[in-house]
Amino acid sequence: MMNASPKEKTFNMLFILPALLLFLVFNLYPLLRTIQLSFFQWNGIDKDMLFVGFAQYKHIIFNNPAYWKSMLNAGYVTLLCLTLQNGLALLLAILVNRQIRGENIYRVIFFLPPVLSGIVVGLIWKFMYDGNFGILNSWLAAIGFEQFKDFAWLSEIKTALSSVAVVHMWKGFGYGFIILLAGLQTIPNELYEAAEVDGADTWQQFRHITVPSMIPVFTMVTILTVLGAMQIFDLIYSMTQGGPAGHTDVPITKIYQYMNNGEFGYSTAMAVIFGMVLLIASICQLYASKKFNK
Amino acid sequence: MSKRNIVIALQTLCLCLAIFMVSGCSGSGSAKNEEVIKVWHWMTDRQEAFEKLSKDYYDQTGVKVVFETYAPTDVYKNKITAAASGHLLPDIYNPQSDKKELASYINAGYIADLTDEMNTGWKDVFFEKSLIANSFEENNEWGVKPGIYGVPLDVSSLMIYYNKDLFKQAGLDPENPPKTWPEFIEAGKKLREAGIQPFVSGFGEAWLIGAFAASYQWSLFGKQGIIDTIDGKIPYNDERWLKIFKLFEEMRDNKMFASGIVTMVNKDAERTFATGRAAMTFNGSWGVNVYKSMNSTLNYGLMYPPSLPDAKYPLLVFGGDGSSMFVNAESPRKDKAIAFLKWFTQKEQQAYLAKETLNIPSNKESADDLPEILQEFSKSITKTFDNLPKLEAWQVTNYININLQSVIIGEKDPAKAVKEIQEEKLRQTKV
Amino acid sequence: MNSFKVKKKILDVITHVILIAVAITCVFPVFWMLSSSLKTNEEIFKSISLFPEAWQWSNYTEALLKAKFGMYFLNSLIYTVVGVSAIVLVTSMAAYAFARLEFWGKTVLFYLLISTLLIPIPGAFVPLYLLLKSLHLLDTRTGLLLCYISGGIAFGLFLLKAFFEELPREIEEAALIDGCSRFGIYWRIALPLAKPAVATLVIIQCLNIWNEFLLALVVLQDPSKMPIQRGLMVFQGTHMTDYPLLMAGLTIATVPIVIIYLLMQKHIVKGIAAGAVKG
Repeated sequence: MMNASPKEKTFNMLFILPALLLFLVFNLYPLLRTIQLSFFQWNGIDKDMLFVGFAQYKHIIFNNPAYWKSMLNAGYVTLLCLTLQNGLALLLAILVNRQIRGENIYRVIFFLPPVLSGIVVGLIWKFMYDGNFGILNSWLAAIGFEQFKDFAWLSEIKTALSSVAVVHMWKGFGYGFIILLAGLQTIPNELYEAAEVDGADTWQQFRHITVPSMIPVFTMVTILTVLGAMQIFDLIYSMTQGGPAGHTDVPITKIYQYMNNGEFGYSTAMAVIFGMVLLIASICQLYASKKFNK
Repeated sequence: MSKRNIVIALQTLCLCLAIFMVSGCSGSGSAKNEEVIKVWHWMTDRQEAFEKLSKDYYDQTGVKVVFETYAPTDVYKNKITAAASGHLLPDIYNPQSDKKELASYINAGYIADLTDEMNTGWKDVFFEKSLIANSFEENNEWGVKPGIYGVPLDVSSLMIYYNKDLFKQAGLDPENPPKTWPEFIEAGKKLREAGIQPFVSGFGEAWLIGAFAASYQWSLFGKQGIIDTIDGKIPYNDERWLKIFKLFEEMRDNKMFASGIVTMVNKDAERTFATGRAAMTFNGSWGVNVYKSMNSTLNYGLMYPPSLPDAKYPLLVFGGDGSSMFVNAESPRKDKAIAFLKWFTQKEQQAYLAKETLNIPSNKESADDLPEILQEFSKSITKTFDNLPKLEAWQVTNYININLQSVIIGEKDPAKAVKEIQEEKLRQTKV
Repeated sequence: MNSFKVKKKILDVITHVILIAVAITCVFPVFWMLSSSLKTNEEIFKSISLFPEAWQWSNYTEALLKAKFGMYFLNSLIYTVVGVSAIVLVTSMAAYAFARLEFWGKTVLFYLLISTLLIPIPGAFVPLYLLLKSLHLLDTRTGLLLCYISGGIAFGLFLLKAFFEELPREIEEAALIDGCSRFGIYWRIALPLAKPAVATLVIIQCLNIWNEFLLALVVLQDPSKMPIQRGLMVFQGTHMTDYPLLMAGLTIATVPIVIIYLLMQKHIVKGIAAGAVKG
């Protein structure tokens, strides 16, 4: 677009003023307080806080292997989500966007999991996974996998984290689905019509129209997926409590645990470190998508 | 058409916002003239009984007491923490914390010292052990003035429930449950052979697996031994700790644990036991009420955790106060709140609560007409853990619990587990 | 021509098979929730059948009474309507500016504003609580709403900016030449064009605010201001959860949000942009 004059540049700031004000007061200030707290040893109750500088950061980095393991766990969930969950969301969005019969019904149904509260989702899946009377095992037995009788999916080292990840993906794909669908719907029909006249087949249309127009939306969905998966919490809390033996612990469950044990300062330091990890991940993604866009 | 819609929507919105801002501001100032004692609690299932008693109290004294529930407990705790930092705690509450944190609340002036009140005869009505968690000894680690700070509303302890029908089915004597560890393992084997899961408990909740292990810690180390461990004089790779871990390993090797026990919360374990899917469960006295509501025909008995033949000290069980209440020291209605709690813990009120909620009353005089099974529990109160002047760092306790889970799922052997706990202990003392 | 039709038929069948398979997994929990809400507490644990032995409709009336939903419902409605409208307004304006306009410190401000997506929630409520206290907004609806609105900014901005950027610029430029003001273009052209994205934002934010309750519990003292999720707490005891009543309560609390979704998702409709281009 044309270059704006300095006066215009100032005037345009009115557009972001409400957002900016709210942000400064209700987001930035608490954030700064949180960062400030991370340099103090404080249990949330005592009248005086003990300034300890970077000691808590040092302790987290060098003496808290469980925290870093929880970070890896979240990373594993994130990888699964990025590939499987987003793949499924995209596939479904494209299929529904084909203007088939019953499109509306599918659109409603696919968004049911996100609408359901975490309590219901945690309960129902725990119930399905249950080793004693879970439906999953009886289904598996019915199709010939007898060895899974009694198998406690959420309590075995090999399957616990993946089982939780499956539930997270199941609950989350609906978000990706509607955002991607909204993206697909915003692409003007004319582009496809023109391409069809030029004799482009479905794949070529996908490759040369859909993908390029969707890149910002892809980037957004990817970043939201990463943030959502890394910050996974309530499902884990309701399904495994971080167990067995910490194998499904994620950063937020650890932060929560420290906070609930009166380690306020320490837990904010953990949160700040976690925030920085997320920030770096997001920047990398934005950078990658910009590269890809060119 | 759509544009007009948006404009209309927007106008409505602005109107809403305006009304809202006004109502939001004016609403907060009113209706505070009457003196009301506020109680925040988390015991949703007792709300009705509490309300009934508060009505009685109002009729008798003209003092209004309002009970407000916030559940589950971690939500409750968040609310308390925030309210404390804003000096907006209610008159009566419970910080839901361990002793170290409780000490912080007291030292920061959020909790009133009830020692004088208690010494006027009030404390004599309670089970002695029920006051332990609410009082501080001379020379306690946290520098709290010795005395009693909280009022127990009920008492509880943890024992092993066993399903008599399942015992019969496996050819075990339902009136003679195992008393020693070898008998316990033997019973487990028989149950497993009969196709019954022998043992379930909410071992996904760290404290519960820890409570089971702690019984054996008391039995092998005794009070002084535990204090020495906390002080670092006895390392965690001591052979007695190894022995405790080996108990769990033995249970695992004999397939005594129910499927999925390491991620089970207590509610799930209760369901498993109540529906007859496991023959024994380690659970608290509140289970009586829970099992009644889940399966009213469940036929069960009680036993102590099986004792170790070669242990030096008596086997104690986890328990003492069930739920306690504390008075806000900053409250202008402090005296009225204390008077209410005094009334609340008298024989008549306690008997009513016990009957309505099937908990063991903290007032020992009301414990006589309890159902048989709860009487058995109330007898175990004298065998609960003793008061300790200090606590292990929660990180270490938590690490012990996690390692117990590790042993159960076969990730670590006991020797490795205790070695790593000792390493964690050293890591924590470094700070 | 014929083979093309056959091919399309086959494709349609495959499409439906995939869609139906996924749909079943999505619907199953809802059935479970509904069937559990009609069972007795004992039955829930004893039988895993999806059909209750006797339909306990009384669970619903009991849940309605016990949870005092009537009182909380209106609060939640107000929080959601006001909160979401404000989020849409504030963030769409800002997102449009970030996508189209030039102003001082644009890039820095954008990343700063969306950085709040990155703060893990636990622990953040204490500073927020103290802030509201010093602003005298503790225990007020305004205070809670301001928290909700500011909590939705980062996500809304992030979502809408991407969509605004993809809209064809030609119409806006034409309008500018026609003498339309900047605000006019945003309001009359860009915002309607971004309807699918706005609808998406509305759905997601409604969900967030409707289901939020930790902050509400901490910020509010007066029960008469609390949202609907507060009512559900009644069923979750320390040692016991009343599952049938909880499920009935959850169903009651879920219905409004499903209705909102049904209403909003219609706006995510094919051809909006194309229609606008045609005029």
